[in-house]
Amino acid sequence: MLLVGLPVLGLFGILEVGRSLAAPLSIGGEWTLEFDPAANCGGPARLRQPALNISQSGTSALIALNDGRATTIDASIDGSTVAAKSLTATITGKQGQRVLEGKMDFDGCAPVAFRAVRQAPAKKRGE
Amino acid sequence: MLNLFQLVLQIAVILVAARVVGFLFQKINQPQVMGEMVAGILLGPSLLGWVAPGMSAALFPPASLGYLNALSQVGLVVFMFVVGLALNPTELHDYGHAAVLTSHVSIVAPFCFGGLTALYLYPRLSDDSVTFTGFALFMGAAMSITAFPVLARILSERGLLRSRVGTLAIACAAVDDVTGWCILAYIVVLVRVTHAARPAWVTIAGSLVYVALMLFVVRRFLPAFERSFRRHGRLSDNIVAVIVVLVLASALATEWLGIHLLFGAFLMGAIMPKSHEFTSYLLHKFESVTVVLLLPLFFAFTGLRTRIGVGGGAAIWFYSAIVIVVAITGKLGGSMLAARLAGTPWRDAASLGILMNTRGLMELVILNIGLDIGVISPAMFSIMVLMALVTTFMTTPLLEWVYPSRLLRAEVEDLAEKSVA
Repeated sequence: MLLVGLPVLGLFGILEVGRSLAAPLSIGGEWTLEFDPAANCGGPARLRQPALNISQSGTSALIALNDGRATTIDASIDGSTVAAKSLTATITGKQGQRVLEGKMDFDGCAPVAFRAVRQAPAKKRGE
Repeated sequence: MLNLFQLVLQIAVILVAARVVGFLFQKINQPQVMGEMVAGILLGPSLLGWVAPGMSAALFPPASLGYLNALSQVGLVVFMFVVGLALNPTELHDYGHAAVLTSHVSIVAPFCFGGLTALYLYPRLSDDSVTFTGFALFMGAAMSITAFPVLARILSERGLLRSRVGTLAIACAAVDDVTGWCILAYIVVLVRVTHAARPAWVTIAGSLVYVALMLFVVRRFLPAFERSFRRHGRLSDNIVAVIVVLVLASALATEWLGIHLLFGAFLMGAIMPKSHEFTSYLLHKFESVTVVLLLPLFFAFTGLRTRIGVGGGAAIWFYSAIVIVVAITGKLGGSMLAARLAGTPWRDAASLGILMNTRGLMELVILNIGLDIGVISPAMFSIMVLMALVTTFMTTPLLEWVYPSRLLRAEVEDLAEKSVA
């Protein structure tokens, strides 16, 4: 009784304590991108929609660009900020209606402002 | 579009890798299946994608993996039926207090340890699309599973099946698997209802009706297959086809209900008649194609999703070390302690703990479900796959150390003499 009952009680305690924990904001999934139309840069035209596929593991994310060259960018998530070598963005919106707004670097261009909308939350990550 | 040449090439490469690595692992006294699991990892980004990214991209382009996944899922459906078929939890009654206590503690202790680890890992490796409860319960279930088929194979290869420890381990593992799959079904429902369009009550009520139908209606008709087997000494192709259709129908029912294909296949196997001759015949019928052809595809698909040591830096190795230590402490330590407290000698208790710590293939099945439904992240998946490999790999050498073969042989001979007398 003791060997089984105590751990079960402990598990309930763990679940109760865990409810107060906060995990990083979810950005995993496929995203469609809209770029600032005023930007004078050919880079965004190379991207096909959905332009981003993000595979997230906690505060780390792997962003795959749908540019025909399978470019990937390592990113980190700190609060509501996504930072990578060629991209910075802010996460807004509730879970399920998430939006990314920021700037992306392309070769030979000034950083281009973008707004990304998630197609669907990542239910099948890693696929 | 299906590129048949590429798919056949992929299957051929996977089978060759599985057989070669499996053979090499047998040379170091590891079960063949351990080598096949490692072969799958080696074909993925952890090795092939890392040392030869061009070849990896040409051989396994992401667009082609859907077909490989579909084939491996069909294999898993049949395999889970085989696992259910081989299980006979009623055997537990024959082994008394030690088996009942050990099987319960070997689930509860690692489950609790898994939940405790979740407190640390949830803010680091999960995200807010997953609730802490879902994450922690999944971690608990994944930590508490025992690979019944791998365990049976290790025991058989070492001639341990008829030893005291072997029979106790098999009985406990059977109970662990049934309990583990029930818990996992609950977690899948818990996670899926938050995303599904179907109301939660439909899934829950539907699942209860489905289980009741299987246990009280379908089960009553199944002995007819066994009677036919006894009459003719074999099953006709038509009857085998009917059994396959029943497995598929059961799998489809659980998938439609929002649980998972594999639960239906497993339950169908679990409610089949359990006479030794009948189950052996069916196992032989279904196992060869599944084990030789389809399971290596599943291992390869798992390997292609696993990125051991790729990205994440030192932190990932640190988290991996924590998960491995916690998994071993919870499962091996918990089972050993429970068996010892139930009066089992230290050597037997330690051996039982080591055997129950074998996670192998069943862990990979559970982890793939977890990744599919999004309850674990890709990094968490890779860490848990590493844990499954380590805990399975360590079983044989640790067992040899704690319970050397000469002692085992003496014990089995002693038991045989006693049974003759």
